[in-house]
Amino acid sequence: MGSRYLARKFGQALVTIFAIVLLNFVLFRMMPGSPERVLLRNPYLTAGKVEQVRKAWGLDAPLLPITIAVDPPGVSLNVPNQLTSYIGATFSGDLGYSFKFRGAPVTDVIGQRFWPTILLIGFAEIIAITVGLAIGSYAGWKRGSLSDRVGSGISLVLYSMPYFVIGMPLILIFAAGLGWFPTSGMLTVGATYSSFLDQLFDFGRHLVLPLATVSLGLIGGYSIIMRSSIIETRAEDYVTTARAKGLTDGQVLSRHAFPNAMLPMVTLIAINLGYVVAGAITAEVVFNWPGLGTLTVDALSARDYPVLQGVFLLLSVTVVLANLVADLVYAFLDPRVRS
Amino acid sequence: MTAAPVDPPVHSLSAERWRLRAQNLRGFVRRFASRTDGVIGFVILATFGIVAIAPELLVGPLQTATTATGHSLEAPSGVHLFGTDELGRDILNLTIHGARISMSIGLLATAITIVFGAVIGIVAGFTGGRTDSALMRVTDFFLVLPTFVLAIILAPVILDIVGTGAEIFGIRATLVVIIVVIGITSWATTARIIRSQTLSIRERMFVDRARVIGAGPGHIMRRHVFPNVVNLIVAQAVITFALAVFTETTLSFIGLGDPFAPSWGQILNAAQSSGAPGLEAWWYIAPPAICVVLVVLAFTLVGNALDDILNPKMRGRR
Amino acid sequence: MNRSTFRARAARILMTAGLAFAALGPATAPVAAAEPVVLRVGTTQDLDSLNPYATLLVVGYEAFQLTYNLLVDFGPDLEPVAGFADSWERAADGQSWTFHIREGMKWSDGEPATSADACFSWQFAIDSIAENGSGYLGAGYIDPGVEEAGVTKVECPDANTMIATTDDASLRILQTYMPIIPKHIWGAETYATIGEAVFDAPLIGTGPYTAVEWQTGQFLRLQRNPNYWGTQGYADEVDIIIYKTADSMAQALKAGEVDYVRGVNADQLNALKSDPNIQTVAGSANGWTQLAFNTYGTGTGKTIKGGGPSTPALLDAAFRDALGYAVDKQTLVDRVLGGYGDLGDTIVPPVQTQWHVTPDKPRTFDIELAKQKLDAAGYKLDGSGNRLDKENNPITLRMYMPDSDDNYPKAAQFIADWYGQLGIKVTTQVLDSGTLGELVLPPEAGDGYTADYDIELWGWSWNVDPSGELQIFKCDAIGSSSDSQYCNPAFDKLYDDQLAAPTIEARKAIIAQMQNLIYDEAVYDVLYYDSNLDAYRTDRFAGWQNQPTANGTPMFTYGVLGYTRLTNAALVPTAAPATEAPGGATPAPSAAPGDSGAGSGDSTPLVLGGLVVVVVVVGYYLWRRRQGAGGTMKDEGEE
Repeated sequence: MGSRYLARKFGQALVTIFAIVLLNFVLFRMMPGSPERVLLRNPYLTAGKVEQVRKAWGLDAPLLPITIAVDPPGVSLNVPNQLTSYIGATFSGDLGYSFKFRGAPVTDVIGQRFWPTILLIGFAEIIAITVGLAIGSYAGWKRGSLSDRVGSGISLVLYSMPYFVIGMPLILIFAAGLGWFPTSGMLTVGATYSSFLDQLFDFGRHLVLPLATVSLGLIGGYSIIMRSSIIETRAEDYVTTARAKGLTDGQVLSRHAFPNAMLPMVTLIAINLGYVVAGAITAEVVFNWPGLGTLTVDALSARDYPVLQGVFLLLSVTVVLANLVADLVYAFLDPRVRS
Repeated sequence: MTAAPVDPPVHSLSAERWRLRAQNLRGFVRRFASRTDGVIGFVILATFGIVAIAPELLVGPLQTATTATGHSLEAPSGVHLFGTDELGRDILNLTIHGARISMSIGLLATAITIVFGAVIGIVAGFTGGRTDSALMRVTDFFLVLPTFVLAIILAPVILDIVGTGAEIFGIRATLVVIIVVIGITSWATTARIIRSQTLSIRERMFVDRARVIGAGPGHIMRRHVFPNVVNLIVAQAVITFALAVFTETTLSFIGLGDPFAPSWGQILNAAQSSGAPGLEAWWYIAPPAICVVLVVLAFTLVGNALDDILNPKMRGRR
Repeated sequence: MNRSTFRARAARILMTAGLAFAALGPATAPVAAAEPVVLRVGTTQDLDSLNPYATLLVVGYEAFQLTYNLLVDFGPDLEPVAGFADSWERAADGQSWTFHIREGMKWSDGEPATSADACFSWQFAIDSIAENGSGYLGAGYIDPGVEEAGVTKVECPDANTMIATTDDASLRILQTYMPIIPKHIWGAETYATIGEAVFDAPLIGTGPYTAVEWQTGQFLRLQRNPNYWGTQGYADEVDIIIYKTADSMAQALKAGEVDYVRGVNADQLNALKSDPNIQTVAGSANGWTQLAFNTYGTGTGKTIKGGGPSTPALLDAAFRDALGYAVDKQTLVDRVLGGYGDLGDTIVPPVQTQWHVTPDKPRTFDIELAKQKLDAAGYKLDGSGNRLDKENNPITLRMYMPDSDDNYPKAAQFIADWYGQLGIKVTTQVLDSGTLGELVLPPEAGDGYTADYDIELWGWSWNVDPSGELQIFKCDAIGSSSDSQYCNPAFDKLYDDQLAAPTIEARKAIIAQMQNLIYDEAVYDVLYYDSNLDAYRTDRFAGWQNQPTANGTPMFTYGVLGYTRLTNAALVPTAAPATEAPGGATPAPSAAPGDSGAGSGDSTPLVLGGLVVVVVVVGYYLWRRRQGAGGTMKDEGEE
């Protein structure tokens, strides 16, 4: 693989990440909120207390590393300021402190919620990719048939449903109605388990409905794109050749059409990973799954900007890296890209 | 097709253009009519469009807490076909009025997205050089950002900018915020697509000719490039509309909506927070949810059909 | 053929998997004798901090008062009962109180708990007040109580005595919400740093249960303090579970996943009533929901450039009084609260039975009368039916409310409609609490604040002592806690008088006068006193004690009483009162899940194990599918 190609891609990713950090800084300063606002409903609040809190959070320092003094006139550089301290802190892994959790480090708050999301999204991706590709490739291969119409129809409907629209009926039927599964959470709180298997089953019971929700939500998109990818591949010369060689329809699909149609899918899946986390926010909210999605919505309703910023940074960087991986994988699979 | 291009006289050019356009339109309608999925989508959209224009004719004015006609969470009956919400408001009434609010937000957000995306796409594609690469850097940057989280972060910033006044141009401020947020976070795809089409148009003969006879870049973009990307813009607008309704619903659901303007997402939010799922009040959830899915589905169907008919080569999405 | 068998097989696998998970509910889990008894308490409030000085939420207070004792705790009717101190007496000259700390008391880690800890904790507030005035300790909620109690000095002459110097004639010192934290843990902190200190679980306390594990946004676990000095409740462990919605919380109560829930809505409460094992309770809240009118300039004549009330009519008590006749409070209680609440009148909630009075000149709901009063006060209608102020401008009132309560926009719809009938247009807008909190601040709070609103629809909740709700109408509250911008020197004088009142009767009389003053001036229109709608299961725990007995709830009240009175429901038929319930000795009821064993704390092995299992299962499935599917495809080949 060309090292110049590699270097360029890495360089671009780095620039993008830096730009995201800058955007984060700018947005943060534009936010109407500040930590002292949570104190405002105290009947005994004083103006002095507000000032004290602002100082404690470093919000009284100048924004940029340059100050222009009027009296006496002059410009001083590299004064203590919010921009450089923010960038320095961010790149050293310090994302600041949560407003809502009264000063808990954002990295800790996010860290607690990272794995539940990864588990939920990871499993959902596996299921959705498997099922979506199966439906899509079969529908595309049998284009125009009844199974294509049914498969594509279902895919399109699923594709049109926000996650919570899928999740709410599931709760209504399987949790509230039939009582098969718990309505919320990831583990039964306060439960003590006799064995690891017990705990795993408890986890499994809680996982079923949110997992079904996210998987169903993802299947539509994968299936639709796989279908059109197969249809395009189907028209290619080598497929016709393979057919002419006397291979059965199934063999042509599994040996020739499917692998080639997968090429664009690989990048799509890689890129999608980052968006899926953000997209599944409402699924987590509906089931109170203790992941990044509920954290985002909680932080939004408490206007906990440092946590929102942290989640945004994490997700954006994930997408950038996923893009980078997709580029590299694509280049690896398809040598034409590199030139 | 004749080989040598001959410039027709100016006066007949305009007539010829109109004739061609009419012919194109007839051809387009014929091809669209042959697409069952597109037609189904169109019929659904037309229905919702009519409902959105005149909800009062169907169900009377929007019910409020004071004008509610039922009791709390009544199941569907002859009086309330879709039951009532926790304030005793008729769900049918709310859902029908929700159509207007959801569709208006979708329409305005789409307008912002498309205008923004098309202008940037055409300018970047046509101008080329530094402007192009600068604009495309920004576009790519927006493509990478997880739009939904960005929308969540932007909402309070924009609310701060538009102020806390209740209305702006007759639209409630909270809705303006949602519209602007959707616009800001979704123009990039359109810009990308329009730019690549513009790039190929720029190389065509008639643009060169216009340039030779001394037309300025603004004129060329308006008179020559724009008419040739308008197909693409229409198809893109339809798909964006679906996305906008989808995003509005989701943003309202997580609490960025306006309780005084019940869009479908807002009704679903109210259903969730009033405990409708646990109280098994399915009638509170099903109508707005089905409407959202139908509208998004219909826009997607129409969008796909248009995409296939108008730009056979421009498939693939990103 | 093959395909259909494959489908059938897949469907069977899914079904079994689903049923297997479904079947393994808590109800069928095996029961072991040594299992701890866990009380699960649900709330929708998301715990913000375990630091007692930093938390702003009721759930945070619940967490810290279980872990840390107050010097004096609260009994069933909020009367003072033994807390960190065993007994107390006021000196004959009235200038000091002596608190006797019980002998031999221990912290949960076994260290002796003495008066040194009490003096250490109270000193935070005394230092803070001496340095800045009150409101600077942590979030500023704790030290004002000490200031109002007039405490200027605490001394601890020996290990079992704390003497507090105060000239305050009231009993407020016994109601002071000051947690006693262990000096041997926090000794290095000062009043300025303790508010920022990180209180990581497990915490060391003298309360009946101490916090051992907190997962933000999910739950807080508290375990029985083996060294607790008082009556032990039946539960060995208290888990406070945070639910995202009241809906999932109510579902969990029905399913037996939780024993007590705080804050369901009226429909949910009614639905829960039908369950024979569930008891519901509507406790009167010590707070209200109000319309706060922006009266900026009242008594001072000041105006705000680019802000303040949009019409001078709001400064006119006669105008505000007339508006009061247009609000049908019965309808609000019935329709917004589902009937669970009391009609609003004065600024001291009726739950404070000792202090609350009904107004001398009550307003009734009468739109016509409201119109007449507006006409009489000089606010005429114009040709198109709009009410004009005295400068002949049509009156449009901007009403803002926070997004923290779904009932606010509901109430707002009614208010807008009723005011509309008077010819007064109301524009409504929901804002997040922080934005609204800043929006109502006037220039007194700092540059850039303009109090640019007309009506704020919001609520307050209060302490046992009524001075908090009186405080927010003082002139010097403008720029901080005042959301009416009301200033009246006569009221301020009454405020000082009631603090200094020599007897409870004298104080009552003054506070009655203050309530009537605010009511007559119609600074606030208190819409209703909301109820706390709670529910609990009676099949596992008995002995639920409302506090106050008449109109309170068992939990999320004052002190730890509700938790220590809980008994085993299985023993109830003998009607044994709650005296003692040894933990561990009694077999647990079958509703509790699992056995004793690995704790639920660390999820890392779970995560890793889960990943491994899924990878294996999926890999096997894919492998099988590849084998099976290949065959299927082959068989299907038609061409």
